[in-house]
Amino acid sequence: MNDLGTLPDWAGLAPALALVGTALLLFLYDMIEPDSQNNLLLAGIAGIGSLTALGFAGWFLLAGTGQPDRGGAIELFDGQLVVDAMALFFMAIFASVTLLVVVASYDYLAGRANQAAYYSLVMLAATGMAVMATADSFVTAFISLELASLPSYALVASLKQNQGSVEAGLKYFLVGALSSAIFVYGISLIYVETGVLQFGEVATALASGELSGVVGLGILFIIGGFAFKTASVPFHFWAPEAYEGAPAPISAFLSSASKAAGFVLAFRVFLTALPRGSVEGTLDWVIAFQVLAIVTMTVANFAALRQEKVKRMLAYSSVGHAGFVLIALGALTSEANRSFVLGSGMAHLLVYGFMNTGAFLVIALTEHWGIGREIEDFNGLATQAPFACAALTVFLFSLAGLPLGGGFLSKFYLLLAAIDGEVALLAIALVVNSAVSVFYYTRVVKAMWVEEPADDLAIEGYPSGLYVAITFAVVLTVLLLPGFGFVLEFTSTAAETVVPG
Amino acid sequence: MTVSVEWYLLLSAAVFCVGLFGILVRQNALMFLMSVELMLNAGNINLVAFALYWGNLTGQVFALFLIGIAAAEVAVGLGIILVLNRNFDDIDVTEATTMRW
Repeated sequence: MNDLGTLPDWAGLAPALALVGTALLLFLYDMIEPDSQNNLLLAGIAGIGSLTALGFAGWFLLAGTGQPDRGGAIELFDGQLVVDAMALFFMAIFASVTLLVVVASYDYLAGRANQAAYYSLVMLAATGMAVMATADSFVTAFISLELASLPSYALVASLKQNQGSVEAGLKYFLVGALSSAIFVYGISLIYVETGVLQFGEVATALASGELSGVVGLGILFIIGGFAFKTASVPFHFWAPEAYEGAPAPISAFLSSASKAAGFVLAFRVFLTALPRGSVEGTLDWVIAFQVLAIVTMTVANFAALRQEKVKRMLAYSSVGHAGFVLIALGALTSEANRSFVLGSGMAHLLVYGFMNTGAFLVIALTEHWGIGREIEDFNGLATQAPFACAALTVFLFSLAGLPLGGGFLSKFYLLLAAIDGEVALLAIALVVNSAVSVFYYTRVVKAMWVEEPADDLAIEGYPSGLYVAITFAVVLTVLLLPGFGFVLEFTSTAAETVVPG
Repeated sequence: MTVSVEWYLLLSAAVFCVGLFGILVRQNALMFLMSVELMLNAGNINLVAFALYWGNLTGQVFALFLIGIAAAEVAVGLGIILVLNRNFDDIDVTEATTMRW
């Protein structure tokens, strides 16, 4: 039903429409002025576009669009898309991460070619992610996933003269193409069994009748597809390479927004299309996600311990955080309060969106200054750039789960979720891995604040765009510590509309 | 005489495995792209064959979308392979190893 007062139902897609409109506007500008170096105008258009999307998403969230008391989820195009509180919540995450990335890119891209293409690809990828949040059918799910992925491949390889960037783009593309083929095959196997592709209809078809092993194989392949998009084991190999080689704002974009997009789609697919009750006999995905979560956390955190490059270490930490969020899927046992478990996963993705984007943006800042990539290169950086170092310290400690930012509470609630689902192993793995992660985050913090600076350490200029974006991220990360209760309450309510029964 | 529907499933599984095998053993990036196409088309075979079996058009329409997306994917992939060739003077996927795993 129409619950926006005078607005039609399709207005629920306004955040996604704002993003795609901005992308087209940028293409139009590029057509008229192909050699333009007007970075301010391009970043401005992209920034206003993502701000508009954020405004729409925030407005709808506050107005209660898609909530049960306001007419429930809005189904569009014959149930192909659905706008509910979870979709709007994730659209708000994507729009804010896009905004941070665009503002930071203003300095990062200064003087480079093809800026209009860069910004429009960012906006198109953000559109794909926003549609992923609303997808309610395997058709729209796959198309939006590709819309998010294809621009990302190009963006990672966008430093065309840089061997690292091209290599990263190639590896991201190869693993991505492989996993999307696997994902499609999984979808086709579900279709073989059920004959429908809309999530609700798939669930109905699966609930009635005996299931063959084909469904189990299909679920396995679909999990593979999500493992790529969320950078979890076994398709995590691309992540360290792609994040290390890509331009740093793009690493921030991919590791925060793209991962959240993978998770929102996974939440919806596994809760509405493949409910555990009906498919338990073929492949119990709760068990599969428990295994994936534990393996992902452990592999990533121990690999991060051995890294000497800061960006690569953050990449592994991002893989580790995918493992933490997988807890929200692995703890959906029959004992659990499922909307609480899911809600804590969503809340962690919001907090993670800000702290991880912020951390990568500080790396972008150091790349802008031409500081090396090794941890030793950060020695004594605090003497030159105390604010940036303080911000990075907040981000890293928040990522580690120390009470400097929202990351402490969101990890704590994931722990409660694991206990609520009565999966002791997940809880233990979460605690052990968080403890391990403190070691490698502290190494960077120690290098910045304690070590003596090298003689040739000098930075020129304090780029305003990057500083604005970092300030915004650090303020939100810290504010989410006292404000986390509000977020969690909201996400748990949002999760109730997705959790069946 | 119509072919029974199980054979289509077998065919698609075979095509999928050929594609997967190609990805695992080939080093040429273009061969890699072709192998991915094979895997995507294995999905298409299932969708089209079972659209007939179930008597609806959902699968066939999705297959059309997939063909379009596969073309877009190849376009992006060829672009990346082109810059790969410019930077590394080769399109061997095992050559580009400036970063270690």
